[in-house]
Amino acid sequence: MSEPRNTGNSAVVTVENVTQRFRVIHERPDTLRELFSKFLRKGVSYHDLDAVKDLSLKVPKGQMLALIGRNGSGKSTLLKIIAGVYRPTSGRVHVEGSVAPLIELGAGFHHELTGRENILLNGLLMGYSKEKMQEREQSIIDFAEIGDFIDAPIKQYSSGMQTRLAFAVATEVDPQVLILDEILAVGDAGFQQKCFARIQNFREAGKTILYVTHNMASVIQYCDRAVLLEKGSIMADGDPAEVAEIYKNLLSPEMAPLVTS
Amino acid sequence: MKELVVETYRYRELIWALALKELKVRYKRSVLGFMWALLNPALTMLVLTLVFSTIMRFAIPHYAIFLLSVLLPWTFFSQSLSYAVESIVGNGELIKKVSVPKLVFPVAAVVSNIINLLLSFIPLALLVIAMRHPFYLTWLYLPIPMLALIIFTLGMTFFFATANVYYRDVAHIVQVLLSAWFYVTPIIYALDFIPPNRQWIFKLNPIIYVINGFRLSVYYGQLPKWQSVAASFACAFIALFIGFGIFRKYQDHFVFYV
Repeated sequence: MSEPRNTGNSAVVTVENVTQRFRVIHERPDTLRELFSKFLRKGVSYHDLDAVKDLSLKVPKGQMLALIGRNGSGKSTLLKIIAGVYRPTSGRVHVEGSVAPLIELGAGFHHELTGRENILLNGLLMGYSKEKMQEREQSIIDFAEIGDFIDAPIKQYSSGMQTRLAFAVATEVDPQVLILDEILAVGDAGFQQKCFARIQNFREAGKTILYVTHNMASVIQYCDRAVLLEKGSIMADGDPAEVAEIYKNLLSPEMAPLVTS
Repeated sequence: MKELVVETYRYRELIWALALKELKVRYKRSVLGFMWALLNPALTMLVLTLVFSTIMRFAIPHYAIFLLSVLLPWTFFSQSLSYAVESIVGNGELIKKVSVPKLVFPVAAVVSNIINLLLSFIPLALLVIAMRHPFYLTWLYLPIPMLALIIFTLGMTFFFATANVYYRDVAHIVQVLLSAWFYVTPIIYALDFIPPNRQWIFKLNPIIYVINGFRLSVYYGQLPKWQSVAASFACAFIALFIGFGIFRKYQDHFVFYV
């Protein structure tokens, strides 16, 4: 398990020639009856889709990297590979240190449980110990501004409260690599400010951040580097402003009919 | 197999939290809450005692204890299996978003039922006292058949939870299987009721050996023969090896099918 400590500016996240192939089965037999009927009709029809195609990427320590691209370009798949949710069809992934493995904030929340119980459960799901979670509980509650609601089942929370709690849990536990998937669109302006302040702290502490968004303004404002994905491959990689420009041009043929006037 | 032990230990806190969550959610919004874990077997006992002491009379003294000594472990087995068969599919949303060892879900489902099993022995002990049935020292032996039963249950659970990921019919088949299995296992009757020349068929049933240990120690105050104990553990470990082996082989693909 323990890799030699990396002190220099070497890569924290290394993705080497990774391909993730999905077999898209047309009407996959979900029940035995369907299986038998497919069997009689000889075989199942399917096609293979490479959601990520022979992709290599190195993310150095302390970098805030934006992953941008159209829907279906492979952003989420790539994040899931890095977080260890998918085992890639081929290629190699290496992550130095802990990665907050929640792809979606609050994915591990259970609606019947209270905020406090969810903090613990979510932390344990991310691989932290009970002791550590209890230590951080109060600062999570404070950051999320949940107040007295903390002992109420989270189904009674507003969606903003849930997101705040989820963000607080994900960032309070101090992962080496933080994955943010389109979350900063939620919460009011004040809380968003707080989130970015915290992300800033993360960067100052030398943590690596992978950020997926469609909001180009935040990419240009906060990120060190942007990677544009298209059909599972890297189309552009570099300065956020330049890559965002390429992305806009990529969209424009589709957008053109909408902005004729 | 080593993976099972290591990961279970490593994620013990998560497994425990998931098991508690399961219980909490199960008893949520009920006035008596956790008390149901005790009341359920107690009320079942009451019904069975009434039925079998007034309507269907067997020539077995203290039939309720005779029955419950094996019905409680059977209930553990069948409930674990019915819950856990859905444990991977039911946690699909989580599996798709969090990198977590998949085995925590079936293990947690079984653990939550272990809590129920242990609690259900409290009303049984009370019944033993109430019916003036001797309280045998062999109760102390119970952890041994419990261990074998838990291992056996885990093995079956891993197998069926895996199968259910690929074919959702499995969850339904398990229900049918369990009710058939209930009747071919000497639970409401004793193996002695079966003509000796047919008993060998019943002895093919892998759960019979462990069940036997429960009844002997609670009802008869005897310890099982060592051959029977060995058979119960052999069945348990074979089930676990096969079940977990299959689970392990497929676990990386679960995320694409849940």
